[in-house]
Amino acid sequence: MSENDFFIGWADETPRAERRFFLGSGLGLLAGTVAVAGGLAFWQKSPGLGTWNQGAVREWTGVITGQPYAMLRTLDIDGTPKTALLSCLGKCGVAARVGSLEGQSVVVKGSLIQRGKHAMIAVADGMDWIAPSPAAQQVDLTFPDVEPVGPVTLAGEILDSKCWFGAMRPSEGKVHKACAALCIRGGLPPAFYAKTTSGESALMIMTDGGLAHGEALLPFVADPVQVSGQARRWGDLLLLDGPVSAITRL
Amino acid sequence: MSHGYNAVGWTPFKKRFDRWMLAGIGLYLIVFVAVSVVAPPDGESFTPIQILIRATGTLAFLLLTFILCIGPLARLTDRFKPFLFNRRHLGVTTFLIGLAHAGLVLLWYHGFSDVNVFVSMFASNPRYDSLAGFPFEALGFIALLIMFVMAATSHDFWNANLGPGVWKMLHMGVYLAYALLVAHVALGAIQFEKHPAYLALLASGVVIVSLLHLYTALASSRIDGGKILNAGWIRVGATSDIPDGRALILQPTDAERIAVFRDGDRIAAISNVCRHQGGPLGEGRIIDGCVTCPWHGFQYQLEDGRSPAPFTEKISTYPTKIENGIVFVNPEPNAPGTEEAPSIIGAPA
Ligand code: HEM
Ligand code: FES
Repeated sequence: MSENDFFIGWADETPRAERRFFLGSGLGLLAGTVAVAGGLAFWQKSPGLGTWNQGAVREWTGVITGQPYAMLRTLDIDGTPKTALLSCLGKCGVAARVGSLEGQSVVVKGSLIQRGKHAMIAVADGMDWIAPSPAAQQVDLTFPDVEPVGPVTLAGEILDSKCWFGAMRPSEGKVHKACAALCIRGGLPPAFYAKTTSGESALMIMTDGGLAHGEALLPFVADPVQVSGQARRWGDLLLLDGPVSAITRL
Repeated sequence: MSHGYNAVGWTPFKKRFDRWMLAGIGLYLIVFVAVSVVAPPDGESFTPIQILIRATGTLAFLLLTFILCIGPLARLTDRFKPFLFNRRHLGVTTFLIGLAHAGLVLLWYHGFSDVNVFVSMFASNPRYDSLAGFPFEALGFIALLIMFVMAATSHDFWNANLGPGVWKMLHMGVYLAYALLVAHVALGAIQFEKHPAYLALLASGVVIVSLLHLYTALASSRIDGGKILNAGWIRVGATSDIPDGRALILQPTDAERIAVFRDGDRIAAISNVCRHQGGPLGEGRIIDGCVTCPWHGFQYQLEDGRSPAPFTEKISTYPTKIENGIVFVNPEPNAPGTEEAPSIIGAPA
C-alpha cells in the first residue's frame, strides 16, 4: 500500500486500492451470508405436522368433561366418536370453566388444532364459547369407562399437547422447554410422547391417580425421561397414569 | 466546534458501508426465511414467528462474531482498518437484531399467559442446578443487557465524557457478552438442533475469535521491550529505521506504549494511545503534518500532541534526542498537550 492509499474514514475519497478491496470483501461477505443463512435454515430439524387455522371458528356438539382435563367427546367427520381436548386461546386450560355443564351435552365454539388423529379445540374467552345442546343426540357420546391396558415403562418426552398438536412448530426439546412448562402450568394437558427403540411412537395424555398433574411435573417437561406407570385406554385416547416420583431423567 | 467532543461524522464511506451492511442483513433474513418455508417435508411447516426468532438469533450471533474479528484483523493487515471506522454502526445494529430476537421469544414462548413474561423467562425452566437443562434464556438476557449498555454509550459523546479508560473498560464487556451467548447457544439450540452444521458454526466462531486475539496479543508482545540506557533514555533505533511519515512503537516496562514518528527530518514521540477510542496511533501516518489515527482519523500535532484547531484533544508527548544517528526517547511522559520540540536529523547535537 503506498502512502496515498492510507485510509482515512472522514476523507471524501476512498483510495482506489481500498475500493477494490472493499468491493471484493463486500461481495465475499454477501456470498458467505447467503451460504450460512441457507445452510442453517435448511438443516433445521423438521418442524413436525400440525395446523391451527385460528380464523376458522365453528361449532361442535358433544359431551363435555373437565376431568382430568377439559375435553369434548364429539363426532368425527366419519361418524365415529372422537375426543377433542379443549384449551383457551392462549396458554391455559378451560377445565375450571366447564362448571355445571360437566357431563352434559353441549355445543362448543372454537377453532381446531389438529395433528393426525389428535385434535384440540381452542375456545374464545368469556362464557360465549359453550351452551347446552338443544337437540337430543342420535349417537350416545357419553364418555366410556377407562380400561386398563397394563403397567408400562416408556422412554420419551413430556410435551404440552396444544403446541404439539400444531399451535407451535417445532414444539419439542430444550428450545421449547420453558414454553411447554408455562402451558402445562396454565392447565393444558401434558402429553407423553413415547418413542420405542424400533421407531414406533405413541402420544399419551398424562394423569396422576386419574387426576390432572400439578406443578411438580414442570421440571421434567421437555427433558429426555423415562416414565413407569399404568397405560389406560379411554375411548380413542391413550392415557399414561403415574405419579411424578415414577419419572426419571435419562 | 463549540462542543467538548468531536463525533466521527457522516462521510461518503460511512454511507456506503451502511448500505452494504443493510444489504447483508436483508439478504440473510430473506434467505433464512425463504429456505425455512421451502425446506420442510410435505405437510410440515414452521410457524412464522419461530422462523424469525431463529433468523434474528443466528444473525445477531454471526454479526457479533464478525465484529470481534475486526479488531485483530485490522492489526494483522491495514486493509481491515476501514471496517474499524464503522464498527459502531455494526455494534448498534447487532444489538437491535438481538433485541428483536429476544422480543419475539418473550412474545411467543412467554406470552399468551397470565404469568408475567419476565417471570416466565427466569422461572418456567427452574433447572439452574443442571448444565444440560440450564435455562439458557437467562444467559441471553444478561448478554443483551451488556449489549444495551454498550450500544447506549457507543456515541462519541460518552467516550469524551466518561474518559477513554472507563469507556474502554465498559466496552470490553463485549467479550463477556460473547461468552454468555456462546453458552446461550450451546445450552439452548445445540441441545436441540443435532445437525453438525450448528455445532460447527458455533465452534468455528469461538475458535476464530480466540485464535485471532491470541495471535495479535502475541504479535504485539513482541514489540521492543526497550532497554533503559543512559539515565532513563530508551534506545529506539537508527533514524533510518523509522520510515518517513510513520512510527516505531515502543513498550516501556509498566507504562503506556510510545509512538516515535518521523516527519521528514523531524523526530518526535507521542503516546501510542488515541484519545478517541484508544486506537494505535503508531500504526497511523503523518498526513498534512499531523499524526493521523488509523481507526477513525483523529489527528494530533507532532510538536505538542494537540489536535489541530478547532479540535481540543490532547495526548502526552515525550522528550526525544538523537546521538550519532541513534534516536532515544525519555519514557517519562509530559502532561498531555505539552509542547516538546522535535529532534532534527542532522542537526548538531
Ligand atoms: C432476553 C434475551 C434472550 C432470550 C430470552 C433468548 C431466548 C432464546 C430462545 C428461547 C432460543 C431458542 C429458539 C428456538 O430455537 O426456537 C434462542 C436461540 C438463540 N439465541 Fe437467544 N435469547 C436472548 C438473547 C439472545 C441474543 C442477544 C443473541 C445474540 C446476539 C441470541 C442468540 C441466539 C442464537 C444464535 C440462538 C440459536 C438459534 C435459534 O434457535 O434461534 N439470543 N434464544
Ligand atoms: S481511536 Fe478513533 S480516531 Fe483514534
